[in-house]
Amino acid sequence: MKDQIFKAYFDATQKVFNLMLNISEISAHPSEDFKCDDEVDIAIGITGDLQGKVIYRFPVATSLNIVNTMSGMQFDAVDAFVTSAVSEIANIISGNVLSALSENNMDCDILPPVQCSLDDDKEYGINTSCRIDTAIGEVCLEIRLNRAA
Amino acid sequence: MLWKDNYEIGVPQIDEQHKELFRRVESFLQVLRSQVSWEEKVQKVNETLEFMKGYVVEHFRDEEEYQKSVGYPGFEAHKQIHTGMVDYVLEFSKQYEQSNHDEQLIQQFGGKLLAWLINHVAAEDQRIANYARKKGDELK
Ligand SMILES: [Fe+2]
Ligand SMILES: [Fe+2]
Repeated sequence: MKDQIFKAYFDATQKVFNLMLNISEISAHPSEDFKCDDEVDIAIGITGDLQGKVIYRFPVATSLNIVNTMSGMQFDAVDAFVTSAVSEIANIISGNVLSALSENNMDCDILPPVQCSLDDDKEYGINTSCRIDTAIGEVCLEIRLNRAA
Repeated sequence: MLWKDNYEIGVPQIDEQHKELFRRVESFLQVLRSQVSWEEKVQKVNETLEFMKGYVVEHFRDEEEYQKSVGYPGFEAHKQIHTGMVDYVLEFSKQYEQSNHDEQLIQQFGGKLLAWLINHVAAEDQRIANYARKKGDELK
């Protein structure tokens, strides 16, 4: 179950990076090696057969690279524009995950992206994280979900 | 340039509209991100926003007509995505007016618009092209 969900997120990230940023190779690694002090954290809530959220942790450098690649312009600092653009990327990846999950008979919905902190005292049946490496930087995914009763 | 040739779907009318949309978004972003003061750019930003509101609706309508004409099975779902975006743009415009043209709000709008447009044209609109191509091949 955990692996299946992780795979859905990894595949969706790969697809979106490929289509939107023309980056075809990404790879998954343990999140222990993800060290980052300055990052943009975006949570996408999930409702339905799975409940909880997935947090996309974009280091500042990755966020700027994403927006520079998309716009062909030069962004030097994270501001409302950059935060909103990477929030939409998280939203698009999550939307792709929904289609994959529904093919596995899991019906879920997502909530609009919100900037969040990583702290969370809830218990999750599925609680896993992973670092994804790409040519324009790392992203870390924190998957925190419960199956609906 | 924001536009990439591999975004083409092979329908001249739709491709032209996409190119125009990308050109407009690009010049919108250039104004939005220029280093001049907000007072100096607000008028150009507002003009572009007004133009986009009309143009996007027109483009969505034409694209939906095309989908119907080829019997695209994803028509309803695609139409919902279009409607969702139009609703977002209208809701945003209202907030932006009410805030008396707040720069933070429109920077936010610009970021979302950029990512949304690229994904929609590169992923969702491509599906229409794939379908039409497949159907064309079957008729051969
Ligand atoms: Fe379109
Ligand atoms: Fe479309």
